[in-house]
Amino acid sequence: MAISDVTEYMHLTDEQVEELGRELDRIREEVEASRGADDAAYIHRMIKVQRGLAAAGRLTLMLTPHSRKTRVPGAVAGAALLGLAKILENMEIGHNVMHGQWDWMNDPEIHSSNWEWDTAQPAEQWKHSHNYVHHQFTNVLGYDNDIGYGILRMAREQRWNPANLGQPVYNAALATLFQWGVALHDLDIERIRKGEKDPAEMKRQLGQILRKGRNQILKDYVVYPALSGPRWRTTLTANATANLTRNLWSYVIIFCGHFPDGAMHFTEEEIEDETRAEWYLRQILGAANFEGGPLLHILSGNLGFQIEHHLFPDLPSNRYAEISERVKELCATYDIPYTIGPLHKQYGQALRTIMKLSLPNRFTSSDKPPQPPTRPDSVEAPPVDKGRKSDAERPPRRSELGGWSRQQRAS
Amino acid sequence: MLRGLSRDVDPVSAPFAWETGPDGRRELVGPRVTQCALSRICGACAESLGRPIAFVGDDLEVARNAFHAPPLHEACAEGLAAAEPSWRVVRTAAFEFVRPTKDDLDRRPTFQPSALIDG
Repeated sequence: MAISDVTEYMHLTDEQVEELGRELDRIREEVEASRGADDAAYIHRMIKVQRGLAAAGRLTLMLTPHSRKTRVPGAVAGAALLGLAKILENMEIGHNVMHGQWDWMNDPEIHSSNWEWDTAQPAEQWKHSHNYVHHQFTNVLGYDNDIGYGILRMAREQRWNPANLGQPVYNAALATLFQWGVALHDLDIERIRKGEKDPAEMKRQLGQILRKGRNQILKDYVVYPALSGPRWRTTLTANATANLTRNLWSYVIIFCGHFPDGAMHFTEEEIEDETRAEWYLRQILGAANFEGGPLLHILSGNLGFQIEHHLFPDLPSNRYAEISERVKELCATYDIPYTIGPLHKQYGQALRTIMKLSLPNRFTSSDKPPQPPTRPDSVEAPPVDKGRKSDAERPPRRSELGGWSRQQRAS
Repeated sequence: MLRGLSRDVDPVSAPFAWETGPDGRRELVGPRVTQCALSRICGACAESLGRPIAFVGDDLEVARNAFHAPPLHEACAEGLAAAEPSWRVVRTAAFEFVRPTKDDLDRRPTFQPSALIDG
């Protein structure tokens, strides 16, 4: 739907939207004021556990392949430990550190400026494609390239073309090779294909990807297998299994965040003049949570609280559970949809969308909740191409003066 | 050239987040300010931020702890501040990116350092 319809759909007055914004601001302020030693202990504990798992996995794979008796159980255990370590590092540690969730600690290591994670995409490119493009333009068609990662048609408003018939295959390939798909995410292949990408920028980004990708390959497929000596194949296979496990898991978690039926897409381009409260509202409507116990939430980087993560991407992830109770209450008070369900149901809905949208719209029906009432002055939005806008094409907020001119706040 | 800009970036004479307006004065470019905030890149040289993070602003911005210019490297901030006598440099480990509310007459986002570092 058009972003301008959001408040209409919610039947909220402007004042109610702003009051909702003030309530969310209060939550933010309270969590910020209470951040402290317990939170710091949490992330330090996570890093310690993750490093323990990684070390245990690597050691197991180094020591167990040499005996016929321990080779297979050792490979299974080593792959499982390493897979868990990679999941924890990518989801709960790397992703959240790079959002700046732990910058307030002023820790020289655990800081958004210098964290580099155990996956093929360079951190700098992740912070552009995810922190900026995805979080600023959440679910806005033509802007947010996480809507189908540039290869899948994930919204009925996106124009269908015959290549979409292959979606089930592309989806399986994306899930299996997820770290490499993410590695290429910020390159914007579509823009390169159209010859629109700045060659200097492309060369710079490609250089970063090649260096990072080479190091990842060397680590998992050359150096550690070599440390296992003659049984290097066992270690190489276990490392590949660990990477595959992490790929499949992170793919599932990420697809559950924005593609279950309740998560809405937006078509209007005028998003830069949103107020903070309207931005909050778009985050709530564009994201979806899943239910689970504490372990599931940790292993998914607390992205089961995707709504809370989008509202407050730089608050510590260990606080999302408590925040979610208050956000849920607010949504009930203001009669705003709060999309949540079990993990299998959320992923099932995302998968159904992938399958359905491989076909033209006329062959399938929408599973989305009812759309907002059409405003008398609205016109149906034309189909949107899959490609995304470049940084230069994204809408300007306004021409503004720097430190030379300012106005007093009204409030 | 960097990040698709059609010009070269120089941290002092041609900083990333600013363009020269028709009146010859430097103006912050809104989308680039947001990009710097969320991508965590320096508003002057457009490279990944370091630690500490620095902000530049006049006395009023310092007193309010709310800055309009995007986060910077310490050295880039000092370079910019040297050319603008009214600016001071503030160092922090973390910041909040604060979008404007409906009631704000000044509809620019601000940056609020949240873990100030002395010196």
